[in-house]
Amino acid sequence: MNPLIVRGIRERLRFKNLLSSGLFSLILCSTLYLAAFLDGMQTILPAEVSPSGEKELISIPMNGAREAFTVLLILQGFYLMFLGTGRVASVTAEEKETGLLDYQRMTPMSPPSKILGYLFGLPAREYFMFFLTLPFLLHCAVVGEIPLLNLLHLYAVFFSSVILYHLTAHVIGMVVSKPRAASWVARISVLGLYIFLPVLGQAGISFLSFLTIIPTYFGKILPHLLAEGTEKLGRFEGQAVAFWQEVPFFTTTVSPITFTFGMQGLLLLTLFCTAYRKWRLDSLPALSKPTAIGLFLILQFLLLGSLWPFFSLGEASGLLGQALQLDPAKTVLPNQLKHGTHPAIAMIVVQSTFFLLNLAALLVLINVCCPNPHLRLRGVQRKERLGISQIPFLADEAPGGTFVVLLSCICISVFACLHYLSVSSEQVTAVSHSINAVFLPGIVFFFSALSLRAAREQWFNIGFWGYVGGLWVTPMLACLVLAVDDFLGNSQLMLHLASLSPITFFPQLIVHLSPDLMSEGSQLINLSSTIQTGIIASILLVIVLTFTLFRSNRT
Amino acid sequence: MIEVRDLKIHYGDLVAVDQVSFSVSPGSIFGLIGPNGAGKTSVLKAIASLLEPTYGDILVNGKSVLHQPEKARCLLGYMPDFPPVYEDLKVWEFCDYFAHAYGLRGEDKRSRVLECLLTTSLNEHKHQFCKTLSRGMKQRALLAKTLVHDPSVLLLDEPAANLDPKSRIELRNILKKLADSGKTILISSHVLSEIEDTCDSIGFMQSGKMVKSGTLEEVLRNNPGTSVVRIHLSSPAPKLPDVVSQIPALSGLELISEDRLRFEVTLKGNQTEASQVLAQLVSSGIPVSEFSCQKQKVEDLFLQLESQPLNKQTFA
Repeated sequence: MNPLIVRGIRERLRFKNLLSSGLFSLILCSTLYLAAFLDGMQTILPAEVSPSGEKELISIPMNGAREAFTVLLILQGFYLMFLGTGRVASVTAEEKETGLLDYQRMTPMSPPSKILGYLFGLPAREYFMFFLTLPFLLHCAVVGEIPLLNLLHLYAVFFSSVILYHLTAHVIGMVVSKPRAASWVARISVLGLYIFLPVLGQAGISFLSFLTIIPTYFGKILPHLLAEGTEKLGRFEGQAVAFWQEVPFFTTTVSPITFTFGMQGLLLLTLFCTAYRKWRLDSLPALSKPTAIGLFLILQFLLLGSLWPFFSLGEASGLLGQALQLDPAKTVLPNQLKHGTHPAIAMIVVQSTFFLLNLAALLVLINVCCPNPHLRLRGVQRKERLGISQIPFLADEAPGGTFVVLLSCICISVFACLHYLSVSSEQVTAVSHSINAVFLPGIVFFFSALSLRAAREQWFNIGFWGYVGGLWVTPMLACLVLAVDDFLGNSQLMLHLASLSPITFFPQLIVHLSPDLMSEGSQLINLSSTIQTGIIASILLVIVLTFTLFRSNRT
Repeated sequence: MIEVRDLKIHYGDLVAVDQVSFSVSPGSIFGLIGPNGAGKTSVLKAIASLLEPTYGDILVNGKSVLHQPEKARCLLGYMPDFPPVYEDLKVWEFCDYFAHAYGLRGEDKRSRVLECLLTTSLNEHKHQFCKTLSRGMKQRALLAKTLVHDPSVLLLDEPAANLDPKSRIELRNILKKLADSGKTILISSHVLSEIEDTCDSIGFMQSGKMVKSGTLEEVLRNNPGTSVVRIHLSSPAPKLPDVVSQIPALSGLELISEDRLRFEVTLKGNQTEASQVLAQLVSSGIPVSEFSCQKQKVEDLFLQLESQPLNKQTFA
C-alpha cells in the first residue's frame, strides 16, 4: 500500500477518530435522510384516483426514498467535496510551510505515487464518513427503485469530480504557502472553476457545463426521482433535464458522457502536470511554456467546436439557445432593440464571453509561465553558465514575448475563423462584414496580452496584481459609483472609464461593431469616441510598459 | 563523498552563496559555520536537491545533484534546522513511514526502525505521539528518520540546536560512530564548541562566501590570530606593566586575582611568539612561576573573522 495512504489512515483514523467522526456522520446523515424520507413519503392522493373518492394522505416509501436521495447526495458532496478539499489544500500548504513536503520530495517515491498518496491519504476521515452514508444510499436505491446503471454512472462522475477537486486543492496547497489561505483559495477556486464557470455553458460555450456533476445529476437521475403518480417534471426540472442532451460540436454531436469524462480528464491532466512539476522542484513554475501552449490550443479547439453551430447556423445551447427561440416582440428589451435584434444580442453575448474567457486564460498563463524578475535573472545567469547566446524561447526562464505573441495569434485566428464562418453563413445575419470586426478586437487583445506580459516580467506579485486590479477592476468599480450617482448623466464618462479595462472594453467594442444594434441604438450613446479612448489607452500602455521592461532588462 | 564546485545561489538580486567550493571525504565530519544569513542552509538545501543553484555543480558519491537528483536523493539523509514532524503520528510510526517510503519492507523495515530508535535513545518513547515530544526529542526523532534508510551522506542543519548537554554528548558520539562506519557528514551549526568537538574539518562562511576552510588543525594553525596568555607570578612584580608595554606582541594586561599574582594578557601571534615573550619576561626579572598560552578555539576564530571586513580576510 502507498506509504502516504498508510500515514493518512494512521493519522486520521485512530479509534477515537473513528468513533467521533463515525457518530457525527451517522447522526447527521440519519437525521437528514429520515427527515427527507418521512416528509417525501407522505403523498396526497387526488380524489379522482383515491378509492374513497376523496383526497387522501397515504405513505409511499418509494417517494420518500426518491426525495431523500438528493439530500443524501448533497451530504456526500459536503463530506468529500467541501471538507475533503479543504483538508487536502490546508495540509499540503502546511507541510510546504513547515518543510515536511521537502522530506517527501527527497524520498524515492515517484511523483505520481506521491500525488495519489496525498489525494487518498489526507482525506481518509472524509472517505470514512462518506462510507458510512452508503447504507442509506443502498436503502434509497432499493426502495426508490433508482436504476442501478444510472446510479453507477452518477457515482463515477461524482468520484471523478471529487478527485478533480482534491487535485485542484493539492496544487493550490503547493502554490499558496499559507495553510489557512490555501484552504479558502482552494474552496473558492473549486466554486469558481466547477460551479460559476459552468454557468458560461448557458452562453453557448457548452463544454464548460460538463466540468461538474450537475448535468449528470439532471440527466441521469432527476427523471427517475419523480414521485409516483407524477407524470412529468416541473418546469425547472424539465429545463434542467433538457440541458442533458447530445452536445453540439462542430457539425456533429458528442455524447454527454464522453464530454464529461473528456473535460474532467483534461483538467485532471493539467493539474497532474502542475503537481508533477512542483513535486520535482518547488521553484519550477506551475506549467512549462509548451504545456501552456498545448492547453491553450485545446481550449481554442473546444471553443471552436462548441461555438461552430452558433456561428454557422445561429443555434446555441443552454439559456441562450432558449432565448433565441423566443419571440422578440415579447421580450423585455428597450424599444429600439426590438424587432429582430435578438440574434445581434446573442452574438454580442457570445463574442464577449469568448474574449473574456480568453482574457482569463491569458491572465492565468502569463502569470504562471512568464518569468518574474527573479526567474529572468536566473535565466541570464544560466545563459552565461552554459555559454549560449540566448535562452531557448520555450524555457521557463525565457522572456515571454514569443509565447504571448503565439497565444494571441492562436486566439485571434480562432476568432477570425468563427467570424468568417458567420459571414459566409446564410442563417447568421447579425454580423458585420467589415474587416474591422476582426481587426479591432484582435489588436486590442494583442495589446492587452503584451502589456500584461510586460507587467509580469518587470514586477513581482504585488506589482503585477496591483496592475491587474488597478487597470482591469478599478474602472468597473468607478463606473458602478458613477452609475449610482446619475446613470444617464454620467453614461458617456462611464463608457470612457470602462474602455480602459479590457474586461469592459471588449463588450463595448463588439456592440460598436454590431451592425444591427448600432444602426438603431446609436442615438442612445456615442461609442466611437470611447472606442478611440480605449484603443489609444491600450497602445500607450503597451509602449510605456514595454519601454520600462526594456529599461529594467538592461539594468 | 560530497563535492561542491563553484556553487552560486541567487535569490533574485541577492547573492546568497557566491562561488563556494569544498569537498567532504567519506568517513569525515565537515562543519559549516558562519553568522546568520551567511548562506549555510542554502548550501545544505542545494546539496539536498531542494534548491536549484544558479551556477556550479554538486556531486554526491559521484552523482550530480543537478542532473541525477533522484539518484542523489537516495544517498542523502537531510535534517533541517527546524524539526517538523507529523504531529499525529507516534514516534515509531514516523520512522516506519519513512522506512516504507524509502522502499524498506517487512522484517528489514521493522529491524531498521528499531535500530534507529535505539541509536537515538527513543525506543522507550516510541509509543508517544510526536506532538507530545519536547523540541529536543523531536530533533532526535528527526535524526532517527534521517538515518532510517541508511544514507551514505548526512546533511544536518543545526542538529544540536535544541538538545540538552547530555543529548549533545550522545549526538556527538552517534555522529562519530557514523563517521567511523564510513558515512560522509556535513553539519551546519552555531554551537561552535560542538563543531570543534565533533568535526574533522570546518568551513567558515560569511556573506555567501567560504572565507576559510580546511581541517581543524590547519585552520587554527594557519590563523595568525590572537590568543590569551595567563601569567602566574611567584611574588608581586610592580614593574610588570612597564615590561609588558615594551613587548609589541602583548596588549591588554589584566589583573585577575586579588593577591596581585595572576594576570591575563592578549598575545598577538602563535606558539613561537609566546616562547619569545616568556623569555623576555624572565630576562626582565619578572618572577614567572606559571605561563600558559590558551590554545585558540573555533569560537575565537569565528569572532575574529566575523569582526573583520570581508575584503581584509585571507581567502582559503
